[in-house]
Amino acid sequence: MSEDLRNAIGSLLKEPATVASIATLDENGAPHSVPSPFLRLDADGRLVHLELLETSATHRNLLRSIWFERPVSVTVAGSDNRVLVTTGRTYKALVSGPLFSEYYREVRARLGDVGLAAVWLIEPEQIRDETYAVRKEREEVLHPFHRHLDRLAVRHGGAP
Amino acid sequence: MTLALARKIPGTPLEDAVRRYPDVPRLIILKTDVQRRGVHYTEEAVSYLDPEKHQTTGTHIFGTRDGVIALRPESLLLRDGTSIITTPTPPEENPYVVDLHDGRPWLFDAGVALEEVDYWPAPAFYGKDSSSGVPMKNIVSARPQRLNIFPYRYCTFWNNGKGCAFCDIVTQLKKGSRELKIPARLDPVEVGAVIGEALKEEGRFSTVFLTSGSIVGGSRPFDDEIDYYIAILKEVGKNFRTPKFPSQLIGTAFEKEQLKRLYAETGLTSYTSDIEVLNEELFNRHCPGKAEWIGYREWKKRLVDAVEIFGPGRVNTGLVAGIELAGPHGFRSEDEALERTLSEAEDLARQGVSTVLIVWSPRPDTALGAYKNASLDYYIRLARGLHALRVKYRLPIEHDSYRNCGNHPDTDLSRLLPLWEE
Repeated sequence: MSEDLRNAIGSLLKEPATVASIATLDENGAPHSVPSPFLRLDADGRLVHLELLETSATHRNLLRSIWFERPVSVTVAGSDNRVLVTTGRTYKALVSGPLFSEYYREVRARLGDVGLAAVWLIEPEQIRDETYAVRKEREEVLHPFHRHLDRLAVRHGGAP
Repeated sequence: MTLALARKIPGTPLEDAVRRYPDVPRLIILKTDVQRRGVHYTEEAVSYLDPEKHQTTGTHIFGTRDGVIALRPESLLLRDGTSIITTPTPPEENPYVVDLHDGRPWLFDAGVALEEVDYWPAPAFYGKDSSSGVPMKNIVSARPQRLNIFPYRYCTFWNNGKGCAFCDIVTQLKKGSRELKIPARLDPVEVGAVIGEALKEEGRFSTVFLTSGSIVGGSRPFDDEIDYYIAILKEVGKNFRTPKFPSQLIGTAFEKEQLKRLYAETGLTSYTSDIEVLNEELFNRHCPGKAEWIGYREWKKRLVDAVEIFGPGRVNTGLVAGIELAGPHGFRSEDEALERTLSEAEDLARQGVSTVLIVWSPRPDTALGAYKNASLDYYIRLARGLHALRVKYRLPIEHDSYRNCGNHPDTDLSRLLPLWEE
């Protein structure tokens, strides 16, 4: 796994305009994706997802993930259109202790009278750069047969 | 050794069980087996213990399998937030071992590192003393998310020698009083003050738990026990802005009028009364005090009566699972024990009462201490069966969950109960 991409996720997550989401699998294997507004990277390179509700679908799916080794996916999108997608495994759910308390205070400072069900730590296994410009360039180089011919055709009359 | 390699070694009893029960999480099977076989903490594991950061043994109402009070981790947390309430066990009895692996505590079996664990974190109030100079942790103790109040560490069923056959509460009381200076009977005002101190730690606790030994005295039998609980819960309640607060009481099976008082006069929100074993003959044999003062059928009736007061999903009963198979009077096979236990549990579930299990840990100072508990398969099957009854009868068990208790493999499974109301 690319350390550059891992570092890029860390950098993106430090920017306030970055949007993150987490996708999990339910008991039937159906994906469920929601925003992850508190997402960050910890010192060990794990993604930290704060789950506020014990009964949320994401929390229950994360529990299934750690119990039955199902993958989860986290998408981080920056304001510069950079998109990084991580697939990984749930490593741990913190429900008590100093780190949990620290995050508990943080979410309450930001959101007011809310709780915190668990601090989920996700071990990245693969990070893909899904930034459109990057993917487009690679596809056009590596998979030329996927292009529509009109994009290669001689232009008449100044059409774009 | 990488984590992945460390966790999964084919051929170990744990991984064999995981293969046999693919619908049961490996972590819950591990927890169950650790409770079944006990643990031994190596010197290195004990040296990792930091009383400033971790909870240490000594506050619990019951004893250990090795009969020793020593500085050891109170209990363990697994990676999914599941607690394992551990019972230190002599190495010659083949317990799991907690040792260090890459500088962190791990569970080992036969020298194989199976799973990393955390010691229970110490709450902030543990370093403080009460107004009377008693360490606060000897008045109110903690689990990862629960405050424990053990107000009376004696059970009056022992007055005429009719305490439960698996119980060492009186032995532990003597040790606790002598070696740890734990008060036998707590002052309600002091309990309330310690709870107030504990609540200053943000995000730490999600429930208040209260239990003591049975107290038979009073105008009606057990009125003294009820009065004492009410006095304590009223003092505890002064710390909350709401009339009711998340709480659980494990008490004797009280009469309906007693339960009404308990509910009306306090902030209590759930009620548990442990029948211990779901068979009348075994109940009479192993719980002679309960049989003498209340009786098996009346115990069950009072549980059902409590549902009217606390509501479905807020009343349950506990089993000391495994005693139903112990000794010459136990069920002859695990299949028979399962069938008969789950049949009676279903009768209760149908009437709104949930049943939970604890894995019986035979302790040396008890009448059943010489017997062994049941097989891992038995406990897995029983946990699955009790969880299935909650699914079938739509019974939440949030008041006795991994968060609010942590000692029941079956309620760990119920973390994924359907959300019927949605």
